[in-house]
Amino acid sequence: MTAKKFAKSVIAGAAALALLAGCSGGGDTDGKITLDVWTFGGMGLDEAFATYQEENPNIILKVTNAGGSDEQAQALTTALAGGKGPDVAAIEVGYMSQFKAQPQNFVDLRTLGSDDIESSFLDWRWSQGVAADGSVVGIPTDVGGLAMAYRTDLFEAAGLPSDRDEVSALWPTWDDFIEVGAEYRAATGKGMIDNVNSAIFNPAVRQGSEMYYGAGGDDDLIYDSNPDVQEAFGYALEAIDSDISSRTPSWSEAWNAGMNNGDFAVLAAPAWMMTYISQQAPDTSGKWDIAAVPENAGNWGGSQLAIPAKSDHPEEAFAFIEWLMSPERQLEIFQAHGNFPSTPELYDTPDIQNFTSEFFNDAPVGPIYANSVESIEPIFEGPQQRIIDTAILNSLSQVENGEEPAADAWSNALKNVKTALGG
Amino acid sequence: MVLSAPPRSAPAPQRPKSTKSTGLKPRRRIKSATRMDAFAPYMYIAPFFALFAVFGLFPTVFTFYVALFDWNPIGGQTFIGLDNFVTLYGDERFWNAMRNTFSIWILSTVPQLLLALFLAQLLNNVRLKFANLFRMTMLVPYITSVVATTIVFASLFGRDYGLINSFLNLFGVQSIDFAANTFASHIMVSTMVLWRWFGYNTLIYLAALQAIPKDIYEAAAIDGAGGFKQFFYVTIPSLRPVIIFTIIVSTIGGLQVFTEPLLLSAPGLTGGAGRQFQTLSLFMYEQGFGNFQFGYGSAIGVTLFALIVVFSVINYLLSRRITSDE
Repeated sequence: MTAKKFAKSVIAGAAALALLAGCSGGGDTDGKITLDVWTFGGMGLDEAFATYQEENPNIILKVTNAGGSDEQAQALTTALAGGKGPDVAAIEVGYMSQFKAQPQNFVDLRTLGSDDIESSFLDWRWSQGVAADGSVVGIPTDVGGLAMAYRTDLFEAAGLPSDRDEVSALWPTWDDFIEVGAEYRAATGKGMIDNVNSAIFNPAVRQGSEMYYGAGGDDDLIYDSNPDVQEAFGYALEAIDSDISSRTPSWSEAWNAGMNNGDFAVLAAPAWMMTYISQQAPDTSGKWDIAAVPENAGNWGGSQLAIPAKSDHPEEAFAFIEWLMSPERQLEIFQAHGNFPSTPELYDTPDIQNFTSEFFNDAPVGPIYANSVESIEPIFEGPQQRIIDTAILNSLSQVENGEEPAADAWSNALKNVKTALGG
Repeated sequence: MVLSAPPRSAPAPQRPKSTKSTGLKPRRRIKSATRMDAFAPYMYIAPFFALFAVFGLFPTVFTFYVALFDWNPIGGQTFIGLDNFVTLYGDERFWNAMRNTFSIWILSTVPQLLLALFLAQLLNNVRLKFANLFRMTMLVPYITSVVATTIVFASLFGRDYGLINSFLNLFGVQSIDFAANTFASHIMVSTMVLWRWFGYNTLIYLAALQAIPKDIYEAAAIDGAGGFKQFFYVTIPSLRPVIIFTIIVSTIGGLQVFTEPLLLSAPGLTGGAGRQFQTLSLFMYEQGFGNFQFGYGSAIGVTLFALIVVFSVINYLLSRRITSDE
């Protein structure tokens, strides 16, 4: 008897644990609807969430910040694999191709009226959230855009012009950019850029109309034949050969320190990076400025907001996303955090055209970023996009670190991609 | 406590009655009580095994199952038999991860156990003042969060601003890029593993040292054995079973080193641009959670499981031989 009772209590306890683990969200009380929203750091949405909460007392926003975009992608994968998920999930563009390859996990937003808002977003940015079967998986948040942040004091010390228009004029092409880097090295003995991956390959490879996938869809891999990829790769190798890099990996401690210490003078900076630089290197305020990126176009970052198929409140979730990513809201977010709007109707308004950044020597960052994102063409990104990207970037890093000879770099990169795709 | 109370109190008032009537009932009751007694221990350990079945056994068995599929966690699953294993054993990234794992394991375990033995010997010294304070301090690295340890060590080993390189520069040695170079990165990861585990092993050795009877040392001293001879001919043989235990534990731990390379690898999962410090567990994680290839990741997991079983069996056989030698 007692043993049975004990067994019962064990089972009851285990069941309670399972309940706790399984059903943490979802309970709607008093006719109020709870929306589970999963985000990650740096999206700059917190004030907007608070405003929405105030304006919509019938909806309870339950926001979970997973940490970084990698953690968020992994948390979402685990949740979807377990047949669960939040009502709104942020997915960083780097992961988007992997998630949208399985569109059945998400609500096709066309069924909720995404067609009505499509026209207000940048074409290429919108297409990043569209799956191969045409279903709309995610609505774009901000757009990275790309500019070159540079240190005026270090440029002057190197005998280079420091005025932003003159600097932009220094490097209309990547070849010119590398030449300026070589001059900088000769004058100062230091590397001009942080690393070739984020300062050269990443922006350069995204300036064409195709990247690793051709027009044929998921199976049309052209990473090995697309001249644009090889060209971008070549620029990166040339930059390593001309020794213009300080070989500082992005997101490392040394990178953060380098912004302060002047270990490098130029940094590929999407709009949201402005906040990052000003937080990491507050003492360098006013010493930075913003110039155009060579060949004028580029993007780095941004996210999509998706609604997992298991959401209990897809309509409310979509209404929330629609509100959150409306041009007015995006403008507010930009003004507070620097995340650049993905809605081009704002670009010609005085709010953007006259927007300057004090930290960046009063640079007119609004028009610079607007210019950089408007000239981008939509690029099709297939499901293995991130895997291919990682393999190629790793090969470049190996050369940059002196661990592999440049002559073998391209064949190594192709070999690494093949291994990665075969696995 | 709640469990044992009723059986004791319940039969007591009935006893006088039952002895008068048949005499059969109490026997039955005793029987059921002994059966209960035999059953009770299993119930006490049941919670562990229930949890183990859910969180340990099931995932392990399920991993074997998943390894037979092309399994996208959020997409389709196709049965492909042993294809994952065939691909895996031809995948140079796998062998690279294997080499890294073993290199890091040896570089961390050997110095770690030697250091632990040395420290245990010091801490066992009767003339040591504040011995308990020092013994407790040994555990501090072990209870410190791995993340904190890794962050601190990563900055110590930094290429441009690391303390270790500044020190080397003092002697005219050029800065080493610890994260980029294969061997240097193994040293870096091993140091972190060593730092985390040496205290734990020291305490285990210390406990074993204190259990060695003093008279053996006295006898050895009378026979003319000095400190070193005592150490090699008395201490080490007495510690054998414990040494075997620590080797088994650190082998299992060493084959699963994960957190340190993961954090050093961030934001990627490849363990450096050339996969120079990607361990087997990190490779498994990269394939499963980074690339959405659960089947392939599971095949790596199964292989790692088999490796650990093989090593444990080898260790077990060795230890049995050594104990029977004594």
